[in-house]
Amino acid sequence: MMTMPKININEIKNWTINNFFGSKLNLLLTIFSTLFIVYIISSFISFLSSAEWEVVALNKRLLLLGRLPAEDTWRAWPILWLFSSILCSSIGAWGNPKKSELLFILLAFLMPAAIFFSMSYIVHISITIIIGVGSYFSSRIIKKISAIKVVMYLDTLKKILISLWILLIPLVFIVLLIGGGPKPNLWGGFLLNILLASVAVVAGFPLGILMAIGRSTKLPVIKTACTLYIETIRGAPLVAWLLLAWFVLPKFLPNFYGLSEISVVIRAMIVLSFFASAYIAEVIRGGLQSIPKGQLEAADALNLSYFNKMRIIILPQAIKVVIPAIVSTFIGIFKDTSLVFILALTDLLQVGRIIPEQDPKFFGKQIEALLVVASLFWIVSVALSNLSSKIEKNLGIGTR
Amino acid sequence: MKKKIGKEIISAENVVKKFGEFEALKGITAKIFEKEVVVVLGPSGSGKSTFIRTINRLEPHNSGKIVVDGVEINDDVKNLQKVRSNVGMVFQQFNLFPHLSVLRNITLAPQKVKGLSRVEANDVAMSLLERVGIPEQAEKFPSQLSGGQQQRVAIARALAMQPKIMLFDEPTSALDTEMIKEVLEVMTELAESGMTMICVTHEMGFARSVADRFLFFDEGLIVEEGTPEHFFKNPKEERTKLFLSQIL
Ligand SMILES: Nc1ncnc2c1ncn2[C@@H]1O[C@H](COP(=O)(O)OP(=O)(O)OP(=O)(O)O)[C@@H](O)[C@H]1O
Ligand SMILES: [Mg+2]
Repeated sequence: MMTMPKININEIKNWTINNFFGSKLNLLLTIFSTLFIVYIISSFISFLSSAEWEVVALNKRLLLLGRLPAEDTWRAWPILWLFSSILCSSIGAWGNPKKSELLFILLAFLMPAAIFFSMSYIVHISITIIIGVGSYFSSRIIKKISAIKVVMYLDTLKKILISLWILLIPLVFIVLLIGGGPKPNLWGGFLLNILLASVAVVAGFPLGILMAIGRSTKLPVIKTACTLYIETIRGAPLVAWLLLAWFVLPKFLPNFYGLSEISVVIRAMIVLSFFASAYIAEVIRGGLQSIPKGQLEAADALNLSYFNKMRIIILPQAIKVVIPAIVSTFIGIFKDTSLVFILALTDLLQVGRIIPEQDPKFFGKQIEALLVVASLFWIVSVALSNLSSKIEKNLGIGTR
Repeated sequence: MKKKIGKEIISAENVVKKFGEFEALKGITAKIFEKEVVVVLGPSGSGKSTFIRTINRLEPHNSGKIVVDGVEINDDVKNLQKVRSNVGMVFQQFNLFPHLSVLRNITLAPQKVKGLSRVEANDVAMSLLERVGIPEQAEKFPSQLSGGQQQRVAIARALAMQPKIMLFDEPTSALDTEMIKEVLEVMTELAESGMTMICVTHEMGFARSVADRFLFFDEGLIVEEGTPEHFFKNPKEERTKLFLSQIL
């Protein structure tokens, strides 16, 4: 543990005076930035005091689920419960959150909950909270028991959780489709953004690893193919690929089992996965290049197979080096999912844009709607970057 | 105690290695016998590392023939695996896997390559850590160890595959003086146990007491070879004399 250095009031005073009022330029900058900050804060406060959130309150379902029909709304709950139980158990199993961090996590949950709260769903929301808190504490208890007695409960729990994370997307698909669910085109709102991003990351990550390895090999055919793949995909904007998938893909796909009429959502998922994989590949390739040659030689001298050498020695080290960049890519992909509006899908941003225009009484309430949209994106992005710094710290041991 | 030297285990015939146009090995011919300890000497850039790295094909040779324990080293992957399973290597920079614990560094290859169970591999690893004198470090990560300890782990890691031959490429050159001794002690013990060893080293005290034979390299060729006595008492070649006068 680091000990806190003694805080010396005089030092702080000196530092403040030197840095803020030390020279004429500093003084000027201090005055201007103070004025600027005061201006921003006061205008924000005056906005908040006059803001009317009805536009959001009346369109909660649209924001979260898009055009998902009302009779299918129930499907969102099992998904939320599943997600919160896996997420909270994982935080309990892997994380070691401080009280302040727990509070932060709770706030991250409560903020959207407060925005979208309504009496009719009080039971559902309570269930969600109970599941989340319950999962967190059961993981903690298992962790404690494993620490006291030398048993493998925690390892087993972690294995189960990893499989659940992998199974989460198929499970969500099942919940959305089971018993004659709505057409995928009707999936929308925040659910759609999260679903698209999850699929893109889960499918794009392994593909990206393969492409990175391919581009790093000495075999000319594979190297050229992977380079071509990566550069082609990165060479055009995502919007172009989405449009291409919309107009062109159906013409090329054979018409087996209605393959050529494959839903726009699925097409968007495919495009986003490929798109993500190309960027992830380049990030991981950078990691691969940072691994010293000696590591490869040691693995070869030990007679490890190519597969084991990559899987156990090279990739873990390469990925560890680039975790911040990988997470940035994930965050980028997550925000890029809002581009699917050009495929006539109604994702969160699109909903936020449309709802103030639907009713004359909401005219001019764009800011409220967009603020809610932005804060939802913000919560996920911040959570991801927090996760990344946590993982980095956890993996810090064993650095060279 | 004089040990018996066995039958031939490595034979190199006219081995040439090029890096582009540059010939790092210009035709090396040498035989190594079982239980023999051979020390490779020579000025910097003379091809010492390159030579021992051709023996487990970390550097593929361009022409000539290398046979290790009856298996020729060539493009055949099966042969390569046979050879590598017989040859352990210790590097100047240790090259431990920094993200794996000491124990895992040692158990990895026995489990993945030889198919040992976790328990068996752990037993092997612990007895080897005992042998190199650091059983209490098993759960640590390489970065938490001193250089000398890391190099001893690297030796244990190579020994865990039960090789017939051990290659050492300047194993003490990256170490501070205090730590050189502990690594040389392990190597001496290994030599006395009858391991076939090829060592590139500048530690003349160690070389003199442990080596059965010296190979002196210069500019990609073996210029002179013989017993330590021969080298210290009456080396023939001018280049050998010059080199020895510089490092002794
Ligand atoms: N990968 C490589 N590419 C190009 N040239 C190389 C490579 N490896 C070695 N060489 C060259 O081959 C020659 C022999 O190198 P080698 O590493 O075998 O020397 P060494 O005898 O081990 O020297 P030192 O005592 O400095 O380790 C040197 O001139 C070196 O520059
Ligand atoms: Mg060398």
